[in-house]
Amino acid sequence: MSLLYAILDFPATKWLFLVLALVMPLASLLTWAERRQSAMMQDRLGPNRANIGPVKLKGILHFVADALKMIFKEDFVPANVHKGLFALAPILALAPVLIAFAIIPFGPTIYPHALGSSLDTYQLATNPGAPEFADSIRMQMFSIDFGLIFYFAVLTLANYGGTIAGWASYNKWALLGGLRSSSQMMSYEVAMGLALMGAFLVTGTLEPGAIAAHGATEFMSPAHPLNWLWLWQPVGLVLFFTAAIAETKRAPFDIPEGEPEIIGYFVEYSGMRWGIFFLAEFIEIVFISAVVATVFFGGWQVPFLDGDGFRIGGYLDPVKHISVGGSFTPLPHAVVVTLQFLAFGAKVVLLAMFQLLVRWTLPRFRADQLMNLGWKLLLPLSLANIMATALVKLVYYITTGS
Amino acid sequence: MSSAHDEHGGHGAHGDAPEGPVVLSVSDRHPRVRTIQVVRPGQADTTFLAAGAKGLGITIKHFARNLFLPLRKIAARSRAGAPDLVGQGNEIETVQYPEEKVTYPERFRGLHRLMLREDGAVRCVACMCCPTVCPAHCITIIPEESENPGIEKRPAVFEIDELRCVVCGLCVEACPCDAIRMDTGDHAKPVEDRANAIETKESMMARGIRSIAKQGGEGPNWRSHAHEPPPDGGNH
Repeated sequence: MSLLYAILDFPATKWLFLVLALVMPLASLLTWAERRQSAMMQDRLGPNRANIGPVKLKGILHFVADALKMIFKEDFVPANVHKGLFALAPILALAPVLIAFAIIPFGPTIYPHALGSSLDTYQLATNPGAPEFADSIRMQMFSIDFGLIFYFAVLTLANYGGTIAGWASYNKWALLGGLRSSSQMMSYEVAMGLALMGAFLVTGTLEPGAIAAHGATEFMSPAHPLNWLWLWQPVGLVLFFTAAIAETKRAPFDIPEGEPEIIGYFVEYSGMRWGIFFLAEFIEIVFISAVVATVFFGGWQVPFLDGDGFRIGGYLDPVKHISVGGSFTPLPHAVVVTLQFLAFGAKVVLLAMFQLLVRWTLPRFRADQLMNLGWKLLLPLSLANIMATALVKLVYYITTGS
Repeated sequence: MSSAHDEHGGHGAHGDAPEGPVVLSVSDRHPRVRTIQVVRPGQADTTFLAAGAKGLGITIKHFARNLFLPLRKIAARSRAGAPDLVGQGNEIETVQYPEEKVTYPERFRGLHRLMLREDGAVRCVACMCCPTVCPAHCITIIPEESENPGIEKRPAVFEIDELRCVVCGLCVEACPCDAIRMDTGDHAKPVEDRANAIETKESMMARGIRSIAKQGGEGPNWRSHAHEPPPDGGNH
């Protein structure tokens, strides 16, 4: 049995189950959700007719139809394009996003031998070598200390996809679109990274799993919503979310693509090659939602649900591991894990829907407004956020000595 | 309160402070030709935060309303600018066509039909007025002799190519017998084969009803009959 768990805990297996089997369908579903949601925001119905026989599901099957259509479309490669780079660009756009998911904690650590009963957190803290904790499955592919840095480093590579697509297309407008993409990314990457540094100062770690589980104090467990960083880093949240939307290259920051009129870097692409750009964009939406959920909204934490059950009002004594005050409802480990996994999914979906809402509400920024916003507003604000956070942290350290 | 302000719909017509644009100079030729001070958003407004939040509020309201409230009845949806939507459901205007249809106006010109006589025979006397007037040349009539000794001709073949028809309605106006009408309130049906788009005499007669009009019209004395009630009291 432990071999099975070792296989399940292997990063490639987790990537298969979490990214290929979970994120990819979610991103594909978002293509349908976007059209449906935007329609409803505009008092229309949206695509609701795709069906297999009588199975209609409110039109969810449209994403299957779209995928089939794009796969079977002609794969047209214009003359004079740089064949190698032209083929490489969509992969360069897609691969980094899929790799970056390695740092996202999709759920808590699962202890397969303890699934049936309530998790003994005292035993886990004092005697982690006990037989019931012998096997564990982390719902995170790579738990690395420089997790968020890894994310910045890898996701920046995705930008090469757009720029190279513009260069390889042998098309002036595509090239200009690729350049716009580069300049936009440069303007927002800095603010985006700095916006998360406040979170780093508060939690003292860059590992997303640890950020999601941070905040265990004497009186509040990490599952308490007031412990999540949306309360402690509101400015960081707004700044990061703004910059992240710019990173996905969607309205109101869709200058690189400019689908209707200014023509973006993938104008020469058709069929599934274009579809990969499109898919990468939607996977990026899921990824941004996952990062925001993890860093600012407690990741997989369900409000008031600790590892062993619901604890409302009271708290878990961090030393003795007993409930103090409040009401405590013990739950089996399996139920807790399922709830937390679903909570993460719900947070991601809600944040993705919010991104769709923004995309269909705000008009596109002009290039100069974009640069103004990035360099003159987001960057100074994120620096000020870091300074303020550090100052509060320093004062807290001086007064309490911890 | 300046007059220009009222022309723009005047928000806040009351109050002491003038709310109109700041007038820099007025032309000596006409009092309404003026130079006003244009107020552009200052640096603080260029982030569009307040405006963006307001817009998000509007779209969230529409989305939530359309997501959770039931669809309005088709009659309320097909009427543009229904007076008060509150309590009737959501705000979605989409008409799901094949299942739902809006009622067309009375004078809508649609698929043709051939009207019938009292005995169910076709009213058409093959006078060839409609193929003559038809600008699209879509009507084909082959006349034959009628069995009825009182009627000279009738169409052996009466075909309309709905793909060529421009739905102008001139055939209906030209017809002296009220034999052809376009008041079915229906479209020409989509077909997969062009040959199937040709309406035959039988298919058009299947949609026809008996007409109350006098066969051949009232003739030169129509004025003297104009105010008489129709012979069957108007039921048809």
